[in-house]
Amino acid sequence: MRTLRAAWLVALKDLQLELRTKEILTSTGLFAVLVVTLGSLAFYTDPVSSPDVAPGVLWISILFCGILLIGRSWALERENDAVYGLLLAPIPRASIYVGKTLSALVLLFAVELLLVPLCLIFFQIEPSGVMLPLLALVFLGSIGFVSTASLFSAVGIRTRARDLMLSVLVFPLVAPALLASAVATRELFAGATMAEILGWMRILTAFDLLFVGFGVWVSRYLLAET
Amino acid sequence: MKLDFEEVSVAGLAKSYGPTLALAGVDLSFDAGMVTVIQGSNGSGKSTLLWLLAMLAYPTRGEIRYGQYGVTHADGLRGRIGFVAHQLQLYPGLSGHENLLLAAKLQSIPYAEKRASDLCDALALDEYWNRPVRTYSRGQAQRVSIARALLHEPRLLLMDEPATGLDAKSTASIVELIEQERQEGAIVIIVTHEAKFASAVSDRILHMDRGRIVEPEV
Repeated sequence: MRTLRAAWLVALKDLQLELRTKEILTSTGLFAVLVVTLGSLAFYTDPVSSPDVAPGVLWISILFCGILLIGRSWALERENDAVYGLLLAPIPRASIYVGKTLSALVLLFAVELLLVPLCLIFFQIEPSGVMLPLLALVFLGSIGFVSTASLFSAVGIRTRARDLMLSVLVFPLVAPALLASAVATRELFAGATMAEILGWMRILTAFDLLFVGFGVWVSRYLLAET
Repeated sequence: MKLDFEEVSVAGLAKSYGPTLALAGVDLSFDAGMVTVIQGSNGSGKSTLLWLLAMLAYPTRGEIRYGQYGVTHADGLRGRIGFVAHQLQLYPGLSGHENLLLAAKLQSIPYAEKRASDLCDALALDEYWNRPVRTYSRGQAQRVSIARALLHEPRLLLMDEPATGLDAKSTASIVELIEQERQEGAIVIIVTHEAKFASAVSDRILHMDRGRIVEPEV
């Protein structure tokens, strides 16, 4: 309860800062639009082959937007050493990680709400019957990815090699979840029903539980004293 | 649950950062109601000592005791420690008021708004209370940082160069606040280069050099 309350305060603080500056949403949103636009121009051939290309463009866009967003979110903590203000508080270390992950997820979902319809329009995919399962897939895929990237960004607070660490450690770790998301999205675009992609959703849910659980457990050590 | 203590002691305290020895075995004790000033040249280990006492870093060797408690009780002890660091640890996008309220909520202070408002008056923060911290001068941000450290009425108050960037009037108000904390039984440890400020607030002055206490003056 104490962890959740403190996590909520940390997340609320991040969202309050973002509502004021709109810095993360603007930069990430524009980046997402750019990637989808470039992807659709470069890879689009015809309405028959576009469902094969769209999942790749969508998930590459989500991946890079997520990295950009999470990096910026933790950069706020490095400015003025503000994170030490949190570390001085009598709160569980895991609450800082949970709060940062929660706020990054909310912001990424906001970007995805723009990204998903845009992707469907640019690749001429009929939204009826696809939209809801796709949003569910995007939601599940993002949780595992954001929770892992947040964890390594937390480590990056105390190291100069934070960008290298993100690419070297996070990408291989989240690869199974991203691959599952991309394959499920491809099947959905190829006409699979919600029931047919349920297996993929279960796999993604298992990944999410594993990543979030691992993150909560290990963050108490990673965010502890040096 | 917040834990209380009347004394802080360190024994054989050492801290290395890779090959660099920042603290080379410090033995000290600090009592309630006493203001200790630590002076020394740059890199002598003063700030490292404060970071270890604030539990923001682990010692490489040695032990810190907060009364009967060790650092394994960190969660309970943190609610009794206030720290004014050289980097002010404030969110530049939030106002001074918002920074203080966030800290108060994280400290679970039930009378947060009133306590914040009292400190706002004591430190004359009201004229820039609702502006983002990024628009503050160093002295203004310093005062908010001090207010945040005092918010939860800490037993152990650690201050790294608290008078930096402050004008004479603000420095006088800090001296007054430190005196008040001392009378209320706080253990105050201050790192400062400013001799006049040090003599105005201190019960004892310690000098550090190359990670050791070299000259105690009581």
